[in-house]
Amino acid sequence: MKTLNLFGAESKMMYWSLRRYMFNTVAMVAVLFLIFMGMFWGVKTIGGSGVTGDSLDSMLVGYILWVSAMLALGNTGGEILSESQRGTLEQLYLSPLGAHRIFFFRAIVNILFNFIVMTIMLYLSMAATGRWMTINLLYLYGMVFLSTLSLVGISFMMGGLGLIHKKISSVNGILSFGLIGLMLLPTYPMTPYAFLPFIAGAAAVRNSIVHGASFPGWWYLFIAANSIFYMALGLAVFKKMEKKAKRLNKMNQY
Amino acid sequence: MSQNCIQVKGLTKAYSDITAVNNISFEVRTGEILGILGPNGSGKTTTLKSILGLIEFDKGSIDVNGLSIRKNRNEILKNVGAILEGARNIYWHLTPMENLTYFAGIRGIPRKRIADRAKYLLESLELTDVANKEIRQFSAGMKQKCALACAFIHDPAILLLDEPTLGLDVEITRTIMDWLVEVAKKEGKTILITSHNMDFIETICKRILIIRKGEIISHETVESLKDKFARKHFLIDLQNKPHEALIESVSALGSTSTSGNSIRVELETLDHLLPLLQALDESGIKMLNFKSVENDLEDIFLEVIREETE
Repeated sequence: MKTLNLFGAESKMMYWSLRRYMFNTVAMVAVLFLIFMGMFWGVKTIGGSGVTGDSLDSMLVGYILWVSAMLALGNTGGEILSESQRGTLEQLYLSPLGAHRIFFFRAIVNILFNFIVMTIMLYLSMAATGRWMTINLLYLYGMVFLSTLSLVGISFMMGGLGLIHKKISSVNGILSFGLIGLMLLPTYPMTPYAFLPFIAGAAAVRNSIVHGASFPGWWYLFIAANSIFYMALGLAVFKKMEKKAKRLNKMNQY
Repeated sequence: MSQNCIQVKGLTKAYSDITAVNNISFEVRTGEILGILGPNGSGKTTTLKSILGLIEFDKGSIDVNGLSIRKNRNEILKNVGAILEGARNIYWHLTPMENLTYFAGIRGIPRKRIADRAKYLLESLELTDVANKEIRQFSAGMKQKCALACAFIHDPAILLLDEPTLGLDVEITRTIMDWLVEVAKKEGKTILITSHNMDFIETICKRILIIRKGEIISHETVESLKDKFARKHFLIDLQNKPHEALIESVSALGSTSTSGNSIRVELETLDHLLPLLQALDESGIKMLNFKSVENDLEDIFLEVIREETE
C-alpha cells in the first residue's frame, strides 16, 4: 500500500513538473511528433518503392527501444544529480520507505510516461500520414518494460557513483553509445551476449514484431531473470555506494 | 518529561584527519526543546545528521525512542522531521500544497489523511493565500515556512532543525520562533535545534548544549548558565560624550567600553558601585539614564567559549 503511495507521489511530481515547465513539455512533444512523422514520410521518400512495411516497423521498434533504453539508463544517475543540485536529496533520504524505492518508482513512472507519449505520437503520425500499422503494443511495451528493468539496475549503479562523484555524465554517454552497438549483437539461441543487460529482450522484441519470430517460454523467463539479476546487482551497488557517501558525508555536496 | 527520547552516547566522527565530533554524549527528553550552540565547524550539523542516519558515525551509539539508528533507521524516520542547513529542503518549482502532498506521499501517507494536517499547517504558518503559487517567487522567509510545513506534514513527534532561521530577518525569525513554541507546546514535540541566533535559542530552549571543536563544553539549563555567568553590567547614558578622565576612573572599577554618549561597565564587585556613582557625579556630565543589564546568552556563549580556549 505504501509503495502505491510512492508511485502516486512520483506520478504527481512528474505531472506537476511537466505542467510547470510547459514550454519544455510542448517542445518535447513537438520534437517527438516530428521524429515520428519523419519516420513515416522519410522512409517512403528516401527508400522509394523498395521500402516495405517491415522497414518502417523495424525503424519504429528500434526507435522505441532506443529511447526507452536511454531513458532507463540515465534515469537514477540524472535524478540524483538533479536532487543534489536542488538541495532536496537529503530530504528524500529522510523517507522511511527508503530513497532507493523513491528512485525506483521515479524510473518506472518515467518509463510508463514515455510509453504513453510514444503511443499518442504513433497514432497521431499514422492518422496524419494515413499509413496504418498493426503493431501489438501490449507485447511491445510489456517486453520493453521487462527488458529495460535491467537498465534501471545499471542506472542504479550509476546513481551510486553519482552519490560519491556527483558528475557522471561522461560515463553515461559511453554506456548509451555502447548500447546502440550492443543491441545489434545476436543473442538467440543463447550466445554469451544474451547475458548482457537488455540485449536479449531488445532482440526478442525486434525479431518478434518485425520478422514475426516466436520464442519459447524459457527464453522469456531468461529475459526476466536477466532483468531481475541486473536490478538486484544495481540495487546492491547503490546501497554500498550510499553507505560510502554517508561515511564520507557526501550526501549534501554538489 | 523525564523519559529520554534521543540518547547519544560516545558519538565520534572523523573525516580523514579532522575529528568533527569527539566522544560526545547527551540526551533529549520527550517533549523538550534542546538547543545546540557552537561556532562554525564545531560539529553541530554532524551531530544532527548522525541522529538522522545521514552520516555514518565511527563510534558510539544513537537511540531514538529506544531504537538504534543503525538498526532501525526506517522505523525511527516515521516519527522524525528535519530541516537541514544549507539545503533548500523543498522543491521551488512546485507550490506549497504540491510540496506537502509530495512529501506526505514519499513518507507513505495517503493524501486523504493529510488534507486536514496540510490545511492546519498552511493556516498556522499564514501560507493559505499562497498555497497554490510557485515557491520560487517567495521571499526567503516564506520559503523557510514552507520547508517547516513539509517537515511537520507527517506529524512527527521529533524534529531536528539545523539553523532554521539562518539568513532570515528579525520579523520572520520571531514568527517562526513563536510558531515553533506554540506547536511544540500544543503537540508535545521533542525538538533538537541548532542556531547562531542566541535570542531565538534563549526564547525557545530550556536546556543548551555548547559544542566546540567536536566536544561538549557546556550542557545545562539556560537559567543555570545565566546564574553561573551572572555579571552585573551597567549601561550609563550621558548628555555629552564621556571625557578621558571619566573613562579612566570608571575603567579602574571594571571592564569598560564606550559608544557615543554611553558607557558600559562590568564592575569587578558590587562594592565598586558607590565609587562609580561618585566618578560620574564628579565628571560634571549630566547622567540621563543608569540601568543594570544582565549578561545575555550571547555574552555567556562567548564567555564559555573564551574560558575553554584559555
